[in-house]
Amino acid sequence: MPLLRVAAVSRLLALLCCLGAVCVQAAGPGEYQVKAVFLFNFSQFVEWPAAALGPPDTPFSICILGEDRFGSELDATVRGESVQGHRFAVRRLRNVAELDSSCRILFIDDSASVQLGSIVGTLGERAILTVSDIDRSAEQGAIIQFATERNRLRLRINIAAARTAGLVLSSKLLRPAEIVGSEAHE
Amino acid sequence: MNTRTAPLRRRLMSMVLLTSGVVLLVSTCASLAYEYLTYRQSALRHLATVGEVIANNSTAALAFDNVDDAKSILAGLRAEPHIGAGALYDRQGRLFATYPLLAEGIPAATGVSGPPERYHYRFEGGQLVGFQPVIENGRFLGLLYLRSDTRAIYDQLRLHGIIAALVILLSCLVAYLMSRNLQGQISAPILSLAETAKAISDRRDYSVRAAPVAGEELGLLTDAFNHMLTQIQEQHARVNSQLANLQLLQQITRAIGERQDLPSVFRVVIGSLEDSMPIDFGCVCLVEKDHLRITSLGPSSSHLAAVMQIAELQLLPIDGNGLGRCVRGELVYEPDVRQVPFPFPRRLAEANLRSAVIAPLAVENNVAGVLIAARRAEEAFSSSDCEFLRQLSEHVALASHQTQLYKALQQAYEDLRQSQHTVMQQERLRALGQMASGIAHDINNAISPISLYTESLLEREPGLSERARGYLTTIQRAIDDVASTVARMREFYRQREPQLLLMRIDMNGILQQVVDLTQARWRDVPLQRGVVVNLKKDMTADAVEVMGAEGEIRDALTNLIFNAVDAMPEGGTLTLRTRRVESPEPTDEVPPISQVHIEISDTGVGMDEETRRRCLEPFFTTKGERGTGLGLAMVYGMVQRHSAELKLESEPGRGTTFRLIFPSYAPALTEHVQVATPVLARRLRILLVDDDPLLIASMQVALEGDGHLVTATHGGQAGIDVFRAACKEPGHPFDLVITDLGMPHVDGRKVAAAIKSASTQTPVIMLTGWGHRLVAEDDIPPDVDRVLNKPPRMRELRVALAELTAAASDDSKGVANG
Repeated sequence: MPLLRVAAVSRLLALLCCLGAVCVQAAGPGEYQVKAVFLFNFSQFVEWPAAALGPPDTPFSICILGEDRFGSELDATVRGESVQGHRFAVRRLRNVAELDSSCRILFIDDSASVQLGSIVGTLGERAILTVSDIDRSAEQGAIIQFATERNRLRLRINIAAARTAGLVLSSKLLRPAEIVGSEAHE
Repeated sequence: MNTRTAPLRRRLMSMVLLTSGVVLLVSTCASLAYEYLTYRQSALRHLATVGEVIANNSTAALAFDNVDDAKSILAGLRAEPHIGAGALYDRQGRLFATYPLLAEGIPAATGVSGPPERYHYRFEGGQLVGFQPVIENGRFLGLLYLRSDTRAIYDQLRLHGIIAALVILLSCLVAYLMSRNLQGQISAPILSLAETAKAISDRRDYSVRAAPVAGEELGLLTDAFNHMLTQIQEQHARVNSQLANLQLLQQITRAIGERQDLPSVFRVVIGSLEDSMPIDFGCVCLVEKDHLRITSLGPSSSHLAAVMQIAELQLLPIDGNGLGRCVRGELVYEPDVRQVPFPFPRRLAEANLRSAVIAPLAVENNVAGVLIAARRAEEAFSSSDCEFLRQLSEHVALASHQTQLYKALQQAYEDLRQSQHTVMQQERLRALGQMASGIAHDINNAISPISLYTESLLEREPGLSERARGYLTTIQRAIDDVASTVARMREFYRQREPQLLLMRIDMNGILQQVVDLTQARWRDVPLQRGVVVNLKKDMTADAVEVMGAEGEIRDALTNLIFNAVDAMPEGGTLTLRTRRVESPEPTDEVPPISQVHIEISDTGVGMDEETRRRCLEPFFTTKGERGTGLGLAMVYGMVQRHSAELKLESEPGRGTTFRLIFPSYAPALTEHVQVATPVLARRLRILLVDDDPLLIASMQVALEGDGHLVTATHGGQAGIDVFRAACKEPGHPFDLVITDLGMPHVDGRKVAAAIKSASTQTPVIMLTGWGHRLVAEDDIPPDVDRVLNKPPRMRELRVALAELTAAASDDSKGVANG
């Protein structure tokens, strides 16, 4: 019966691993580590107009507006990476006015929730992917909203806002996400 | 269907079934093998495709760490039941999501993030397993694990196998059902052929034909079979016709054999051909010089012959129209006589005949005739018909040849019989002649005294009155006629009398004598019956003298007159004519020859060809029992003996003329007869030997009248005795001996022999009533010097005495001198 014992042991091990993994996820990678990876991953699933990307030497900047809770996570994540020949850059903005032409992804931290409306209005039709973890930010004009659901980071996406910004979201991106509409429109 | 035919059908069906079964099995196996091989590949490809789709769809789930999404994507694998398990690993190799949720045997992803080509699916322990990277925009996001159960493949294959088995079964069933019907297309014609062949061999009916069948080989087979049947039928018909021909030939040959005359043979040949061959027209023609004579027409051909304007016994010219070729020995066949531009084929064509065979009747290259056979149809004679006619014509020719030989044989036999008859007649006649000879001897003996006395009276009694002398002369002539009549009794069997006494005869005179002698016959007898025969005499004034035997000529003329009268039972005119005819071309070498013609004509019934030809034959007569058949034969004998000619002109109903042509009298020919009777100078002592006292007396008177000394003895022995006695006396006892031939005991021959043995120089004269016969048969006995006929004539006697005694005295002188 050693075979049976091996099978039983391996099954127990697998169960332990699962439990371990959940624990790790809860404790291990921090929330902003995950958000950093997500931000990087958006560059893979969103298509910017070629004109917006500018010349090749123009960096593909991820701008953070509000409190920077990423620490070095975001920089570590995008270090050495590039999208369509544009290397990644991380810029931290104190206000929306610092937004320059290289900024492609704008993360609006929860701390800037009051400015959200004006930020969205300021951006207008600029080809900038607005991402925010502000509650119900998607309804307020942000294109992608991070939402936490049972300890899991979930995406809420305002397709109309994306369309306004001239961005094309991959359907794969839409699949795990919750699609929402703008409140203004509703 | 019977057992004989079953195997063919069963074999055909089993062949079809076996073939289709094997084909299906092989193709199914090939299909299954292909299926098996390709299914693995396609399963691999399929799994890879599924993996690709899952991986592609899983990028966002992995990228955004959405396990639920990943699970729901993996749950899509439910659509592929053979995919037993699936799992997604993140880029660190951690298990991200599984399918089913509590999947077993999900391996740990070790060694991930290697180069993508290292990941592939493989068969592993009956299962198809493998990893696949999840990549988005070239970024490695994680791994996908898939496990497919190959049982599905084998299920599939099993299903295919079952389906294939069912298909094979069904196909075989369909093939069986179809072959049941379709094999009939092959077997039915073959069975039909077999049935036909059986029917033909059973019934021997070669006119049966197999039903024609569509289709290449079977059609060919049936056609060939029917063609073969046609040939067999033709052969059969040919053999039958040959057999019929042979039978016909045999029948005709037998019929021919039973007949001996040619027309009957030809009739039976043509008749048989018309009935049995059959032909529409047939005839046999025989070659006659340059023509063909139609000898026999078939009974059914007569009306056609009428159309053709030919008839039996008609002559056909042999032109170059086939008759000529045939007469040269060729068998001629005209398939269509209308194409032949010669007269005879034209005639055939006029009678609506179209084809004709003309066969020569030839025996040893000698064509005796032709056999013509014709039919109304064109080309109606096959080669076997021609051959048959050729053989038949040979038989007919042989038969006709034999018939001719038979006829010749018959003729020879008839001639032989005739000869035998004649010989018998002659034998009878010879017996008659012998009898007549005996009678003649007696008559001659009896009339000898009359003759001698009459002669003596006429010579030595000058005182006789003229009337007495006339009577005596008549008596003498009558005696002479009697003697000559008796002599002629033997002429039937004698060619010519060497001692024929030729005399100078006046034909006018002798004709008148005959007319007088036969008056009773040509005038009196017919008158009694109320019939008148006119006599017309046309005598020439020229000298018509010939040398001849008066009695014979008289008898011949009498015979001719009798015949003329007999030929005129209803009366008519009898014409007697004499003429002297000079030879037309006298030359220096040939002296003028004159002839005496005597014609005796009547206006009676005349003679036909046959009678004219045969009338001179001995014993031929048209008078039945009344005639002997010797009359004209005697006339002819006389004519020959006189070196004369006999001409005969006759026509039935117009009368008959006999013309006798004698050479005219020429003085030189009769000189020796003109020798004057020698006068005996001396008296002779004569020994007379006879057994007839009357003859002895008359002879004695006659000889003594001439001055001779006659010693008469009665009988042969007495004569010999007297002569021998006289010989012993001195001097010549007798100068001469006269002896009779026929005497009892010792006849004239013995007497003569005795005389000569006693005295060789003494002449012996023999008197005989058979004198003519003795001379004729060269039977003069050696010891006799002279033979004289009875009745002895004084003149002959004197000549003989003078000649013999003169010779004897010469001899004696010779001896005396010697």
